[in-house]
Amino acid sequence: MKTKTKDIKIYCDITRCVGCKSCEIACAIEHSKSKNIFAAVKETPLPKRRVETQNIGSKIISLHCQHCEDAPCVKACMSGALSKDEKTRATIHDKEKCVGCWMCVMVCPFGAIIRDAESHIAVKCDLCPDRDDPSTGSGLRYACVAACPTDALFAGTKEEFEKNLSKKKGNSKH
Amino acid sequence: MNYVIIGGSAAGVTAAETIRKNDKKAVITLISDETFPLYSRCLLTYLIAGSIDESKLCFRDKDFYKENNIKTYLGKKAVSIDRKKKSVSLEGGTKVPYDKLLIATGATPKTENIPGVNKKRVFTIRRIDDARAIIKILDNVNKAAVLGGGLIGLRDAYALRQKNKEVTVVVKSQQVLSQMVDADAARIIATLLEKNGIKIMTGAAAKEILGKDTAEGILTDGGKRLDCQLVIIGKGVNPNTQLASAAAIKVEEGIVVDEFLKTSDKDIFAAGDVAQTYDVARDAKRINALWPSAVEQGQIAGLNMLGKNVSYEGSLSMNSVDFFGLASISMGVTKPKEEGYEIISRIRKNEYKKIVLKENRIVGMVLVGDVGSAGVISILIRNKIDVSSIKGKLLDERFDYAKIMPLVKKFKDKFRQEEYQDTIMTF
Repeated sequence: MKTKTKDIKIYCDITRCVGCKSCEIACAIEHSKSKNIFAAVKETPLPKRRVETQNIGSKIISLHCQHCEDAPCVKACMSGALSKDEKTRATIHDKEKCVGCWMCVMVCPFGAIIRDAESHIAVKCDLCPDRDDPSTGSGLRYACVAACPTDALFAGTKEEFEKNLSKKKGNSKH
Repeated sequence: MNYVIIGGSAAGVTAAETIRKNDKKAVITLISDETFPLYSRCLLTYLIAGSIDESKLCFRDKDFYKENNIKTYLGKKAVSIDRKKKSVSLEGGTKVPYDKLLIATGATPKTENIPGVNKKRVFTIRRIDDARAIIKILDNVNKAAVLGGGLIGLRDAYALRQKNKEVTVVVKSQQVLSQMVDADAARIIATLLEKNGIKIMTGAAAKEILGKDTAEGILTDGGKRLDCQLVIIGKGVNPNTQLASAAAIKVEEGIVVDEFLKTSDKDIFAAGDVAQTYDVARDAKRINALWPSAVEQGQIAGLNMLGKNVSYEGSLSMNSVDFFGLASISMGVTKPKEEGYEIISRIRKNEYKKIVLKENRIVGMVLVGDVGSAGVISILIRNKIDVSSIKGKLLDERFDYAKIMPLVKKFKDKFRQEEYQDTIMTF
């Protein structure tokens, strides 16, 4: 289980991302009521994805909240909805406290906080709290990582990500 | 060490929290002239609008002071600072000694210098008591006048309109939000406000507030009479520098601080709406009376009170509003008055974008409608990045983080935080 701690996060290998949006779809389904793609498309409000594939030229990245250690969004949040989890160091968002002032949208350098116009609150990566149970899904902790068909998304420590990159290149010498 | 903080809002509370995180043994005392602890002023208009109740006003847990072992004097005003004896005197005579002191006394709303401002039912909105008093009489109000068409005035008007009051905003300039956006963007916002029932009277000022003891209307400088049962003055704030000036601490527009947020007294720091800090977009000293700046400054001041020597990168003026589902964000220099600026802008139906550049670096922006790229642009402003290579993309709908990745790679020294480096490991 690669659950978020200070050292574990989700990385994207840009050389493998093809922009298929599987992560986006999986994220939206994970945040739907039914957790089923066919039922989810009929839900109101529509479930929102919190990850986005973005491109620069031919290079594509699957990007979501980086859970910054010194998070600008937490400092900008005037309602106390955004905070850092002391244990996991995740940046967490309390829907009940959010008033939709968009101060977080204004300062997130990754543009990773999405304005949900329907519910009028901010939406961001919450690290799939409903998948916390090890018996759920394929055993991969995060919906986006589990859904990635090219293994571009990876959850682990930076060292593990680097090791995994060199393995994929077939270069064990690094 | 004995740390004393005057002020219990964003800057003061963040400083106290920062000190406690780094020093479990420190003696921390916080003084505030308000009794309601830990509430967010910025939420008061949401409270008036009825979109939240008082239980949602707090930006920290109710037990925050207790859990962090912070001694408080709530509802006590600090009246003087004795720098020689290193102590703060409170109303009623209590003396609070300090080793390091933070002045985070905030600001007071500007008022109008016209006859009648002291009548009942004339308000500014800054403190919980203001909001409570307004809510109390709201059932007996049909019409309200808001003096000021800036951000504060419009927020006040928006709150009242959500309570179905007939609201007229009286604006001195020829447009709303004149400090923040130019006429094109102002028109988009004003049209939407008017469509939703907020009347806007531009090029006018209140000359007098009418009524016996209680406000019954206003008289404009054009001689027009507007009947109303509530008048709100929403015109910005003045820093509460009195305590500092009386103690002969250097004050200009606000309390003067160095890059460590230290005042002219080496043991006294200032942060938040009262502090005059370096503005990164303007490259000058300025007060940016904003929640995010107050939190940042509270954190830096706290660290420096602990002796950590952390310099403050500076503040950036910025604001975000959402009226009837139309979001607007502005940042930095939006209406340059001198030569030497380059402006790129685009206007569409219900959408406006403007980027202000100086020597190929972004120094300001206004986004109305589509605000998704605000955060990415904010970091380009903060880090003073040369954007010549992506200038043509800045106004694009899909101007997102990926578009600045080449710059993150090129200017590694400016994007030092690990989070940036993590995104470009394979780029």
